[in-house]
Amino acid sequence: MTTYSLPLVRRKRGATTRRARDGLFIASVATLAVIVGIAVVAAVVPFAGDPAKIVGPRLSAPSGAALLGTDALGRSVLARLLEGIGTTLVLSAIAVLCTAVISVILGMVAGYLGGWTREGVMRFVDVLYSFPSIVLAILIAAVVGPGQIAALASIVLVTVPLMTRMVSAASMAVAKRDFVTTARISGVSGPVILFRHVLPNISGTIAVQGTYALSVGILVEGGLSFLGYGVQLPQSSLGLLIQEGSSYMVQAPWLLFSPAVVLVLAILAINLVGDTLRDRLDPRETRSLV
Amino acid sequence: MNALAPVPSVSITGLSAEYRSRLGVNRALDEVSLDVASGELVAIVGESGSGKTTISQAIGRMLPRACRITAGEVRVHGHDLATLSPDEVRRVRRESLGFIPQDPIASLDPTMRIRRQLELALKPLDRPTDAASLTALLSSVKILEPERVLRLFPHEVSGGMAQRIAIALTIAREPSILIADEPTASLDAQVRDEILELIVDFVRRSGASLIWISHDLGAVRKWCDRVVVMHRGAIVESGPTVRVLDAPEADYTRTLVAAIPARTRAPREREDHA
Repeated sequence: MTTYSLPLVRRKRGATTRRARDGLFIASVATLAVIVGIAVVAAVVPFAGDPAKIVGPRLSAPSGAALLGTDALGRSVLARLLEGIGTTLVLSAIAVLCTAVISVILGMVAGYLGGWTREGVMRFVDVLYSFPSIVLAILIAAVVGPGQIAALASIVLVTVPLMTRMVSAASMAVAKRDFVTTARISGVSGPVILFRHVLPNISGTIAVQGTYALSVGILVEGGLSFLGYGVQLPQSSLGLLIQEGSSYMVQAPWLLFSPAVVLVLAILAINLVGDTLRDRLDPRETRSLV
Repeated sequence: MNALAPVPSVSITGLSAEYRSRLGVNRALDEVSLDVASGELVAIVGESGSGKTTISQAIGRMLPRACRITAGEVRVHGHDLATLSPDEVRRVRRESLGFIPQDPIASLDPTMRIRRQLELALKPLDRPTDAASLTALLSSVKILEPERVLRLFPHEVSGGMAQRIAIALTIAREPSILIADEPTASLDAQVRDEILELIVDFVRRSGASLIWISHDLGAVRKWCDRVVVMHRGAIVESGPTVRVLDAPEADYTRTLVAAIPARTRAPREREDHA
C-alpha cells in the first residue's frame, strides 16, 4: 500500500490546484460581469446621477449623498466612474475587435503561405513591436490629434504585433496538419482552406490573445488619457479619472482610489480569464494562473 | 516512347530535388525516374529519409517550401503540373489524386463532425450528401453503426475507425491515382490488414493506380505488383515484387530484405535463414 501513497498525494495536490484555479476563474468572471454589468445598467438607467451635474461641495469625502465623494468641480465621482468604465471598456473592446480582424487576416495568410509573405508580415509587425507602446501611442495622438480615435488607433497598433505573431505561428502549425494536406490535394482553394479549416482550429489562440489584447487596450487607453492624449473632457475614462485624481492625491485620495481599483481589478480579471482559457485549450500547458 | 503506348498515370523522369536550410543543402531525390501504369500497385520502400515521401509530394506538386526541384519533371496523366496554372493544378489534383496519410486522427479536421467532413468532400463533386448516402459510404469501408459515427468528432473515434473514415473520404472522390503514405503505420496488426484490404479492394475495383509508401515488406509482398527500393534519394532497384524481394540484386535491397522479421518472410526464405 505504501507504494501508492506518493501518486495519491500528488493527485490530491493536483486536484487542490485545479480547484484553486477554477475558483480564481469563477471569481475573475464574476468581477468582470459586475464591472461590465454596472457600467451597462448605468448607461441605460443613470441611477448614480448625471456625471456632468454638480451634486455637492468640491472634493467632499464619500458620504450618503455622494457614495464615492465629489471631484474638484463638485460632480459625483461614482457617476463619473461609471461613465468612465463604459468609455474605457467600449473603446478597448472596439479596438480589440479591429485588432482581431487585422491580425487574423495577416497572421493566417502569413502562416499558411509562409516564405516571403510570412517574412514580410513578420518584419512589419517587428517594426511595430520595436516601438515602446506608449511612445507609439503618443506619436499616433500627435498625428491624428488627441481623442478617442487616437486612443483606438493606438490600442490597435500596440496589440496587432503580438496577436499577429501568435495567429501566424498557430496557422503555420495547422497548415502542416494532414487534414489540410488532404484538402489541398483534393483541390480545395487556399482561401476556402483558410476559413474552413485553419480559422476554426486557431479560434482558441484568437480567444486567448483577444483577452490579453483587451487588458493591454485598457492599459494603453489609461496611459494615453492619463497623459492627456486619449479621451478628452467633459467625457470621462478610467485613465482620465486617474489623471485627475493624481492631482488631488493628498487632499482627496478617493478621487484616485476608485478608478485605480477598477482598472487593476479589470486587468487582473481579464488576464486570469485569458490564462484559464489558455490552460483549458492546451492541456499540456501547466503554467500557474498567477 | 511509342506514340501509341498508353500514357502512364504517373511519369517521373530524371527528378532531382533538394532541401535548403541554414545548415546547408540536403539532396532528397537524385535523378529518380518512375512510371506507374493505370491499375498498377507500386510500393516505394526504403529507410527513413530515403526520399519516399518527397516522391509522393512531388506527384501532387505538394513539396514543402524548403524543397526545390532542381531537374526532371513529373507528369500526372500526361500533364506537367509545373507548367499549369494554380487553378489547373487544383483541377488535376481534384480529378486525379487521392491521398491517405499516415496518422489517421490527424487526417481529420478536429473541429468538425464526421458528417460535415464527408459533406464537404462530396459536395464539390455533386454527389448526394443525404444521411442515407453518407451511411452507405461509411458502410462500404466496413464501419459499424455508421449513423452514430456520422455524429462524432474525430477525437471520439479509434485510430482504425479514423483511418477507415479517411479512406472513405478519399475513395468517395474516386481518384485515379491513390497515394498512401504508410497508411497503417500507427495501427495494430489486425486492423492493419483490414485497412490494406479496403485500399487494395478499391484500387482493384476502380482500376486506379496505387503508390504505396511503406516500411512493411511483408504487406508489400502480399499486395503489390511492383516494388521500388530507394536509398539516399535514388532508386537502387525496381521490379516485380516477388523478384525484388526473393532475389534482390542491389546490396541495399539485400540488407533491407534481411531486416524483415522472420514471420513476415516467405517460407523458403525462413528456411534459408534458419
